[in-house]
Amino acid sequence: MRYKAYIPYLFLLPTLLGLVLFSLGPTVASFLLSFTEWRGTVLPQFIGLGNYRELLSSRIFWQVLRNTLAYVAIYTPATVAVGLGLALLVNQKLKYIAFFRGIYYLPAITSMVAVALVWNWIFASRYGLINYILRTLGSSRPPNWLADRDTALYVLVIVSVWKSAGLPMMVFLAGLQGIPKNLYEAARVDGATRWHQFWYVTLPMLTPITFFVLIVTLFDAFRTFEVTFVMTQGGPLNASTTLPYYIYQNAFEFFRYGFSSAAAYLLLLVALIITFINFRFRSRWVHTNN
Amino acid sequence: MKQLVVAMVILGGLVSAQSSVDYLGSWSLNEAEAELIEVCERQLDITVNYTPFSGSGVADLMTELRGLATARRLPDVFWMSSGFVDEFAADGLLYNLQPLVDRDVMPEAESWNTGAFDAARTPNKTTGDMHAFPVYFVETIMYYNKDMFDEAGLDYPTATWTWDDFLSAAQALTKDDNDDGLIDQYGYYGFGRYAHVESWVYQNGGELLNAARDSFEPNEQAIEAINFMNALINEHQVAPQPAEMAGLDNPFHAGLAAMWIDGSWAMNGNRDIEGLNFGISAIPRGPSWQEDIAYGWSDMVAVSATSDDPEAAWDLVQCLAGPERTVARSGTSSIPIWRAIANSEAWLEPDQLPDNKAFLLEWADNAGPNSFTPGWGEWRGYVGGAGLQGQLDEAFNGNQTVEEALAAATDVANTVLARFYR
Repeated sequence: MRYKAYIPYLFLLPTLLGLVLFSLGPTVASFLLSFTEWRGTVLPQFIGLGNYRELLSSRIFWQVLRNTLAYVAIYTPATVAVGLGLALLVNQKLKYIAFFRGIYYLPAITSMVAVALVWNWIFASRYGLINYILRTLGSSRPPNWLADRDTALYVLVIVSVWKSAGLPMMVFLAGLQGIPKNLYEAARVDGATRWHQFWYVTLPMLTPITFFVLIVTLFDAFRTFEVTFVMTQGGPLNASTTLPYYIYQNAFEFFRYGFSSAAAYLLLLVALIITFINFRFRSRWVHTNN
Repeated sequence: MKQLVVAMVILGGLVSAQSSVDYLGSWSLNEAEAELIEVCERQLDITVNYTPFSGSGVADLMTELRGLATARRLPDVFWMSSGFVDEFAADGLLYNLQPLVDRDVMPEAESWNTGAFDAARTPNKTTGDMHAFPVYFVETIMYYNKDMFDEAGLDYPTATWTWDDFLSAAQALTKDDNDDGLIDQYGYYGFGRYAHVESWVYQNGGELLNAARDSFEPNEQAIEAINFMNALINEHQVAPQPAEMAGLDNPFHAGLAAMWIDGSWAMNGNRDIEGLNFGISAIPRGPSWQEDIAYGWSDMVAVSATSDDPEAAWDLVQCLAGPERTVARSGTSSIPIWRAIANSEAWLEPDQLPDNKAFLLEWADNAGPNSFTPGWGEWRGYVGGAGLQGQLDEAFNGNQTVEEALAAATDVANTVLARFYR
């Protein structure tokens, strides 16, 4: 069957239009805005690298960047590890295993706002479940988890890992079920213990999937927002503010659209550098068919 | 046939002569707004193109207005927050209503709660021109739990209470029922929130800003008020540290605090708490008190500077704020700007708590300054940020001194203000 050369493009057009109008367009516009001062009430004013200079000389920005890197550094491996652990746990031939898989996956499809509200109660200082237990065990001054500069960020990490580990679990589960059984049989014949089988068969065979999960989780970490918004609003004193929340705050609470666009591009730069490093060292630990 | 054509031409002429006004609503309006608009259309013989606002708060509304301003499509009439009127006026987006107010409102000034007008003045809150028109006024007051006062055998707070009176009552109301070292009932609850802090500051004759309102320079009286709040928490321990209450929505509602200072808008929330028997009173007077000052501000409507028909828009503004904005069309927790509505039984609600709701009107007559400036949300700050609230909360949590908190807040605030006033 013959068709005119432009016909495929017609089918692509709706997607391309959406991509240009709602994704690429705003991305370019935001880049241009990052060189302006703009509050939305009057026309943007070109200020060159002013926003970037202000960001890089801002004590708050560096604090927020440190928070972001700390969040990413803990959340990413923790989510991958918990996801893998859960996958190993539910990769069993048990009665009702599908039910347990569903239970562990449930947080991933639950609204982050609802999840954060419940965790808010769990971590509440005076009447929270955790502090109730700690007091029962004899602690006279348990931590103010959400209001302490030393703990607030880590509470957000814990809640986020609990919420997000379901998706890696499903991906790892698919990977586990794709590992040929004869590899384990051969390992057993060679006298490998269960730990040896995990270390020398399972983990290496899962490395392409681990790499995929790592990259997806990494980007997820760089985009964290709702949990901060609901649980701490970045407090106390920006101790739990990460870059996405900082960008939101500057754009939609302080109405500094240019400044916030510049912060968004710095976030993109940081994410790109870390992703590049990951890809650069992929060949050293990811075992592909080749 | 000829007669029909003539009639249609005349009718068409009449229709086209009728003014048309675009009006963007606010998140705080209910479905009765459409009904009010119909009344205004009939009274004023205008067509109002009403767009209900679908967002959920002031930040959403301001975001939408900024988008419309950028597109040069601001509606003729729209709602304006006290916190942003200075910025929008300075950017030339608001029609100067002062000549119209002088012409149409001031001749019958006694009908309006004019004390609320200052919030709409810009750039100077006393001498500036009104660039918006108030519809409601909200103010902060002290809520107290009557049952807790009765149980402690204390008289209820009065409008002449001093800080000493307040402190003695708070001490009597603070108790550890089971001697486990945890306070089960505090006399008071407050933190670095604007409604909590500024109330104490103004009742001590304090100010957070300089006279030109372009710099954060808390005066001695303001610092004295903040130190008093800190002493309530960390010295007298009649109020909890904010961190202790983290994760708890409202200690006053939870029966953990006998007194609480917040806005009049919180009244309906109090009523929703089963068994909460509460009253309202004035903010206690500090040692430097000179006169009662109510900390409050207005929710306002403004006319776009680019409106094609500012007179028709102004007519609509008066209708939206005037006698037709009945209690059913406004709610009961903000003070209507039209006095007759505010004084009506429907608004005073004698069968509801608090039984002294009329006090809100008395207190509103003392309307004084507020701390709103361009960039207020950033330097005054809500929870979390490095603005004044965050710094004060850290002081109230015992993690820094009030002096350190104010030094850090001054740095943040004046950096923000410098962007607007450089």
